[in-house]
Amino acid sequence: MVILIEMLAIAGCGISAESGGSAYRGAMLGKAVPRPSFTLTDTHGQPFDFRAQTDDTVTLLFFGYLSCPDVCPVHLSNIATVMRGLPYEVTGKIRVVFVTTDPARDTPEKLHAWLAGFDPSFVGLRGTPEQIKAIEKMVDVAPAVAAAPDSAGAYEVGHAAQVLAFTRDDSAHVVYPFGTRQADWAHDLPLLAKVK
Amino acid sequence: MSVQWWCSARGIPWRWSWQAYPGVWIAVLALGAAYARWSRPNGESTSHPNAVSEGRRVGGWIGVALVWASLDWPGGPLGTGYLSSVHAAQFLALAMIAPPLLLRGIDGNRIRAFLARNGIAAKIITAVTTPLFAMLAFTIVMLATHAPGVVDTLMRSQLGAFALDLAWFLSGLTFWWPVVIDVPLRERFGPPMRMLYLFAGTQAHLYLSMWLLLAEFPAYGIYELAPRVTRLSALEDQQVAGGLLLTIGGTYVLAVISVLFFRWFAEPQPEA
Repeated sequence: MVILIEMLAIAGCGISAESGGSAYRGAMLGKAVPRPSFTLTDTHGQPFDFRAQTDDTVTLLFFGYLSCPDVCPVHLSNIATVMRGLPYEVTGKIRVVFVTTDPARDTPEKLHAWLAGFDPSFVGLRGTPEQIKAIEKMVDVAPAVAAAPDSAGAYEVGHAAQVLAFTRDDSAHVVYPFGTRQADWAHDLPLLAKVK
Repeated sequence: MSVQWWCSARGIPWRWSWQAYPGVWIAVLALGAAYARWSRPNGESTSHPNAVSEGRRVGGWIGVALVWASLDWPGGPLGTGYLSSVHAAQFLALAMIAPPLLLRGIDGNRIRAFLARNGIAAKIITAVTTPLFAMLAFTIVMLATHAPGVVDTLMRSQLGAFALDLAWFLSGLTFWWPVVIDVPLRERFGPPMRMLYLFAGTQAHLYLSMWLLLAEFPAYGIYELAPRVTRLSALEDQQVAGGLLLTIGGTYVLAVISVLFFRWFAEPQPEA
């Protein structure tokens, strides 16, 4: 019965993100976050207009950094692994945008190579710390904070661990905290792609 | 350097820096001491006709070493909190390989003498090493301790991880006892029954390995969400775990069954 209900939900012609809230395994937001307008620089050195270039897509927006030892690689690896197993009708509607919170160390070349290791379609964006803080405020996530460097000059950056999922209604109704499993992504991504 | 009593999943990035696990050392020392005592011949003379051979005694010490290697750094923490494949190797060592090696090194006469002196111990050992009970206990422990909810819960605490390791080792000893040790003597449990017992008792193992190999997603949150140690994804690592259980575990059981068969085949048959 549960499988039948899920099949009917996925097979529907299009669902509303808000009405389908309880169907998601991600965490529903009390108040939807509008798709933000900002422009940063991508890993090819080109300006990336987030709102225009992600229009009419499901956009997974995530803040992190390349040297992150745990949250970032696990999130990106899980999303990439699941996307490889989904049909193009779903993945063709999904964009993954990663904004580095450590632009000083995450050069365009390093960021490009790192993201390509997960999925070549993932978009990496860089900006000034002020720009990034402003965007974090726009989407209502905690601002990244760099820890004091150790004796070798290495440092960690505390950052928001959730992935925001903007659907084609230009809002994020659901977020995916650290701990989201591949099975959860595989369940939710097709549902998100159905949202009109 | 941080000290933990027993390995548990901590969710922090893996580092190749040695860590002390005093609880593991105490457990392995206790096991070694017990084995040293029980592998001695039951008499003053080492030339006792039923004395355990040197090869068997050394095999038992290899079993102790296997237990140590699977519980201490780096195998212990890797298997507890990072890699499903190492977790599978720990299971093979603690439940499948070390127990029969240790049991083969124990002097049967010493066990008989001990049981003759201790009525309650004799009753307990006779009951838990009854083949049907031992097989069911081993199967239930194997399936229960590989259930995702159980693994993800137990591995987060030192006590839980200790309980899981102990359950594997004790159920392994119980399972292998009727195959290796003739105490108490079960005349109807001859080589054909032992071969059948091993085959039946490891069917869940086969199911488990296939489930890990063919799963669409990583089964365990502990390993899926752990910082990566190798270039393998969590799912690939899980497939390695399934492959290890299937190839090493399966080959090992098949080899033991083959040895039992050829020994039985070579035995002089009673004349009709």
